[in-house]
Amino acid sequence: MNENENNFESLRRLLAQKRHEMPPPGYFNSFSGQIIARIRAGEARAPQTDAERFFSEAPWLLKLLQAFELKPAFAGAFASALSLLLVIGIVYAERPDAGPQPLFQTSDQSVGSFASASPSSLPQTVVASDTTTSNSAATSLQPVASLFGGSQNAFVQPVSFSPSGN
Amino acid sequence: MTMAEPAEITVPETPVQTGEMDLVRRAQKGDLEAYDELIKRYQERIYATVYHMTSNHEDANDLSQDAFIKAFQALKSFKGGSSFYTWLYRIAVNKTINFLKQRKNKLHMSLNDLDFNTENNPDLVALISDKTPRREAGLKELSEKLNEALLKLSEQHRLVMVLHDVQGQSHEEIAEIMDCNIGTVRSRLFYARQQMQAWLTDYLKPT
Repeated sequence: MNENENNFESLRRLLAQKRHEMPPPGYFNSFSGQIIARIRAGEARAPQTDAERFFSEAPWLLKLLQAFELKPAFAGAFASALSLLLVIGIVYAERPDAGPQPLFQTSDQSVGSFASASPSSLPQTVVASDTTTSNSAATSLQPVASLFGGSQNAFVQPVSFSPSGN
Repeated sequence: MTMAEPAEITVPETPVQTGEMDLVRRAQKGDLEAYDELIKRYQERIYATVYHMTSNHEDANDLSQDAFIKAFQALKSFKGGSSFYTWLYRIAVNKTINFLKQRKNKLHMSLNDLDFNTENNPDLVALISDKTPRREAGLKELSEKLNEALLKLSEQHRLVMVLHDVQGQSHEEIAEIMDCNIGTVRSRLFYARQQMQAWLTDYLKPT
């Protein structure tokens, strides 16, 4: 590194001359006063707009926006990723078999039937297993018009509830 | 803007001065007199750094004032993990780099405010190569070329060079200010010097 330092000695001495580049005499006498005056005048603490208040509470968002401004490629990549995520979400949501999957699969078939039953098929299951439960049974037997006029149980799969071993 | 007599900005070895934390704590509570004292301590160094990065006094004035104001606004978030001096430097440097990136397409930077009183400085005169065919262009051209070459560097490389070779800061201090490791500082400095050397080869006296 010493050799490198020697190689650049002329350059370093030249750059050191830049220390002589100074503002006019007396410039710094009023410098701090100007800053304090700006702070006192409320310029620094002007009433914040909603956007400023929002960004002050989420500085990471401001940094992200600044990064977008400085690196358009980054902004493009971020937008592409968001679009891709949106498309995947839409495609996945439109799949009829994309309903919630059971978290656990047990060997007990009867318990498994409950766990895998979708919410719309649950009342029928209750009717089949407990005929004394009057409320849910009654509601499940009555045809209920759906919000959009279609059949409520259009996508309900029949649930086999026979105990294991039978 | 006219320039003053050459007067070197002195950079103390250890920037942290006695009572600084006390001033910072008072300023955090809104004491503007304490903040005024902090500004006076660092105004010349902050200004000089911004000026050497932008090569423009008006920009340096605006940016350094904005940096001090932003620092005051953010002072409550200063926990003392680093020195106030380093923290303040980071704010000024980030503000300057953002400014330079946003104005990258600016075609012309003001170079008319150089201190040409340095023409009589024997050190600077000695740097002019006797063999250069452009010697008659003189020191004014050299100063302009120097600033032009600096502006050709990327912001990160220019910053390292300004902080180290112009302002005399150590690698460790620069690493802390730029939030990178010392190896990065060294490699950036080496690359920047190589570039500058190549661009100014006609103007530098061989060693």
